[in-house]
Amino acid sequence: MGYGDVEMIDANGIRNDGRKAGDVRPISIELGVVPVADGSCRMRWGTNDVIAAIYGPMEAHPRKIQRQDRAVLDVRYNMAPFSTSDRIRPGFNRRSREISKVTAEALESVVMLELYPRSKIRVEIEIICAEAGTRCVGLTAASVALAHAGIPMTDLVVSVASGKINDVVVCDLNKAEDNYGEADLPMGVLPNTGELVFLQMDGDLSPEEFQEAWDYNMNAAMVIHEYCVEALKTGRYPQ
Amino acid sequence: MSIPLVPQLLRSHLRELADNDQRLDSRAQFEGRDVDVEVGILANAEGSARVRMGDTIVLAGVKFQTMTPYPDRPNEGGLMCMAEVRPVSGRQHEAGPPSAESIELSRVVDRGIRESGCIDTSDLCIIPGEKAWQVILDLFAVSDDGNLFDAFALAGITALRNATIPQEKFELGEDRPLVVSKTPIMCSYQRVGGRFIFDANGREELGGDERIHITLGDDNHVHSLQKGLKGAFTAAEFTELMEEARKKGEELRNMVHALEGGN
Repeated sequence: MGYGDVEMIDANGIRNDGRKAGDVRPISIELGVVPVADGSCRMRWGTNDVIAAIYGPMEAHPRKIQRQDRAVLDVRYNMAPFSTSDRIRPGFNRRSREISKVTAEALESVVMLELYPRSKIRVEIEIICAEAGTRCVGLTAASVALAHAGIPMTDLVVSVASGKINDVVVCDLNKAEDNYGEADLPMGVLPNTGELVFLQMDGDLSPEEFQEAWDYNMNAAMVIHEYCVEALKTGRYPQ
Repeated sequence: MSIPLVPQLLRSHLRELADNDQRLDSRAQFEGRDVDVEVGILANAEGSARVRMGDTIVLAGVKFQTMTPYPDRPNEGGLMCMAEVRPVSGRQHEAGPPSAESIELSRVVDRGIRESGCIDTSDLCIIPGEKAWQVILDLFAVSDDGNLFDAFALAGITALRNATIPQEKFELGEDRPLVVSKTPIMCSYQRVGGRFIFDANGREELGGDERIHITLGDDNHVHSLQKGLKGAFTAAEFTELMEEARKKGEELRNMVHALEGGN
């Protein structure tokens, strides 16, 4: 099976999980799920289940990683061995290294690192169950966990991936759509300014399709931002 | 980072408490924290469990792979048990290759389950000499507030008892439950303030001495023992711990069976 060979959206525009093109999967958020951490967040998004935990600010060591004028963010994205259909061998791989790097750079754009010179803030993102879009869920959960830890930030980061399936642009790709779809556009949005701190893309999109996917992501991010704010006020979303 | 800043103060505080038969969280000497177990919580695992004991939270997930049987055991599959204590689970856990502590943890839990004979490896054979099931039990610490050993062992056996062999996915017939005939239970004790206590929390571990891990099977047979960390204990102390482990083990075993709606 390859691109476009799998029917993922029917003549009425209904996707294989019952959603319409612009719909986001169900999302729930819970704070404080790692009681020993300084801040934590569990985000379930479709069947994705992701835990983000924050430790710090703490002394940065060894000293060579310290920055005199700011804190360093130490971000790790990792998939648990049982998180996918085929077991993942524990340990580093190129994919998780890259995702950790771009996630760190997205978060560095909002965390007020200059308030904590010479210190380190650890951001641990663990994918417990993966369905597609784990980097987006991980980044969003990490920003909520940082807020839960009381780390000053200029904004949350809300991340969503839209794409194209059977020549139709749709919001928030699920697993089949990610595997067999024609394009994937994950973005990390700052809801208060509309700026982007995270952007990747692979596949094939016309300029019109690209604009449509972009707009889907922007609109979805604003909605998901409301969920995050609600969770930060009360400890969970939905109530 | 694993070197605590105030172990001596903590140790003397724990000693004072122990002298008055008290603990940091007002538990009795052999009283465990409340245990909460959920099964079937991971959509992509063939068996799973979450165990919470106080602020210690762990997950266990079972996956299956096909393997070539070992030449000396052509009619048998295999069991592999892996524990990961990733930095998400605590400030003291650093990134990097598995520490000696987490390797010990993984091997002690593995031995208790394996040696109890709860999994009949000949039931895992698909084609003798060619193909068999390998059961992989992955243990994952979410939050470490002490006694990961017992939490991992309990989550592990619960997840195995909840597991389904995914034969359909491998085009080997219909899915079937993994047969797990026994319920080995680990009980861990640590010397804190001079005396042994059950189910040490994170601070008690930090200020404690040697620990003893006992895994008992359904018929109270011993399946694995481990003494860890610096310290010496007497035969009389050990006899008392074995007696305690029998009582506690039965309680926990009944809880696991009750989750399955049986016994």
